[in-house]
Amino acid sequence: MWKIKENSTAHWVIRAVGAAIVVAFVLWTPTRNYQAIGEINDALIIALGAMSLNLVLGFAGQISIGHSAFFGIGAYATAILVKKYEWSPGWTFYVGAVVAFVVGAVVALPALRIKGIYLALVTLSIAFLFPKIVGWKKLEWLTAGQTGYDSVRYKQLPDWPIVGAFPKGQQGRAEFQFWLTMLILVVSYLVIRGIVRSRAGRSLIAIRDNETAAAVMGVNLAATKTIVFGISAALCALAGSLSALRSGTVTPESPNIQVLGSIVFLVAMIVGGTATLWGPLVGAVFYFMLERRLGDWSKDGPLEFVFGWAKTSPATMIFAILLILLMFVAPQGIVGLIKRLSRKIVTIVPAPAGTATAAANDGAG
Amino acid sequence: MERFLQTLLNGLSLGSVYSLLALGLVVVYRGTGHLNFAQGEMALTGAYLTYQFDRWGVPLLVAALMAMIVAFFFGAATEYFLVRPLGKKSPFAVFVATIALFLALNALDGAIWGGEAKVYPNFFPNKPEDFFSIGPAEWRWESFGVFVVVLILTGGFFALFKYTKFGLAMRAVASNPESAKLVGIPTNIVLMASWGLSAAVGALGGSLVASRNTNISQVTMLVIFIAASAAATLGGFDSPGGAVISGIIVGVLELFSAEYSKEWIGQDLRILPAFVLIILVLLFKPSGLWGSARIERV
Repeated sequence: MWKIKENSTAHWVIRAVGAAIVVAFVLWTPTRNYQAIGEINDALIIALGAMSLNLVLGFAGQISIGHSAFFGIGAYATAILVKKYEWSPGWTFYVGAVVAFVVGAVVALPALRIKGIYLALVTLSIAFLFPKIVGWKKLEWLTAGQTGYDSVRYKQLPDWPIVGAFPKGQQGRAEFQFWLTMLILVVSYLVIRGIVRSRAGRSLIAIRDNETAAAVMGVNLAATKTIVFGISAALCALAGSLSALRSGTVTPESPNIQVLGSIVFLVAMIVGGTATLWGPLVGAVFYFMLERRLGDWSKDGPLEFVFGWAKTSPATMIFAILLILLMFVAPQGIVGLIKRLSRKIVTIVPAPAGTATAAANDGAG
Repeated sequence: MERFLQTLLNGLSLGSVYSLLALGLVVVYRGTGHLNFAQGEMALTGAYLTYQFDRWGVPLLVAALMAMIVAFFFGAATEYFLVRPLGKKSPFAVFVATIALFLALNALDGAIWGGEAKVYPNFFPNKPEDFFSIGPAEWRWESFGVFVVVLILTGGFFALFKYTKFGLAMRAVASNPESAKLVGIPTNIVLMASWGLSAAVGALGGSLVASRNTNISQVTMLVIFIAASAAATLGGFDSPGGAVISGIIVGVLELFSAEYSKEWIGQDLRILPAFVLIILVLLFKPSGLWGSARIERV
């Protein structure tokens, strides 16, 4: 077992290797064919939803099963503005995020009083109602009712600096979508990281660990909860807008707009690692890729001899069983498990507090 | 008047199904302090089992009874193998496990019985002339039957809570598990039995729902579970009586909204007023109408 000082050369080497792996993956993806890019893109959209949920659930400890509704707000904002009012899709992201922020803050109002499972069930009922409300016949003039919108997309792909022009057709669209998703993902990651590592993040964690104690220590419960719910909702709406552009169709039956979407975000977050910055991202990619493969493997593949009898895809069932096993062996998720195992090999020793380097790094970091 | 009475009767029947499932949620919550997210899908699996036994030629009532027995053991096993060991780690782990169970059971039912809806046998006579009149309204036997079965079961539950040694043990465990253990109550068996009972009641509830709908599919129980959990929320999660009354309130309110506001609410949004009511109630009473507020020590 090695001990490495924080910010020593060895520590920077580890960081550089980690960053290189991520960058290599990001640069390699758009060189593949459009189906593979699309798959990664879908996974990243779920990751964004899971990251936004993590802010509320993982860090602030407020159980929400209602994030599919915020996702839906984003998707519908983009679809309505693009198809009905003929906006350029880029601007619709802001509108979706702002609307979702307001709705999220309003949803947080009952959360000021309601706790634990009561809050879980209130948010569940909101997730359940959302598809019914957008499919409501009185709102048909806006949401296009049960049929919803289709071919929501850029009429012409904008030219981007650095990335350059995109090839024509589906390949170009997929590459463009991927870079758009990456851009929003990075911005959201930085926003969440900024919140979590700041004073606001410490008050969130204080609320999660003991609400009464947090209030006594001077955390403004009402303001903190309302704002964090709003930010989380806004980030989830960005994921929704991305998914509207990616699939092109937005209806009350779109998979992530239904209640099940909330559960997918929740599962992705837990598998990756609750209350870790990278967890939801890792979890979503793992969940999405594995679930797709499991379906194929059990139809005609290595798992056929076990699940060949199944009338519908047993992928969800296998995954759910894995999730239960995960709760036994590593309730802190994949990222938590990696952290725990790597600690047995390498420990990063923080520089002693009060020394000049520590103070300088505090200022920079 | 006829319209009012008719809606009320239908609402009572629908609400009684919610009550039954809400009661199952409350029994589990009082015992172990967890929300069983998989209650609806356990009920769905029970309903499918009834269907399967019936297909194999077992008389329908016996089939339902057999499904309840299987469900009882499944519920008890869930408590023993999942809830108890995970509960020692964290309540959140149990919450996740019940969500995983929800997904697993739903996918399992689909894998075994297929994705398309199946015609479900009816417990009660359901020919067009099978009804009796109350004033101007007609109460159909299938609808009345569900109501009566639920009434009897609820009565049985309260008798169990109130007059039996086992019920006393359950109440003791709910109020303070540590002290209950110290006075010699077999806490573990009581907890397993609460999960088992809840699952068995769920299986019957699921069968009744499917028989009311005359068909069953993978999505049958989702909306019922959401309404039932809403009822448990309204009544307060630790109040069995509250769950039963709230179940009826939610069911009646749902059908009245659909009937009296066809233009605005209609069939699609009929659950909306009930949800709004629940959120309003929770704003003033955060632990539901009859639930007890938790006092927290820091």
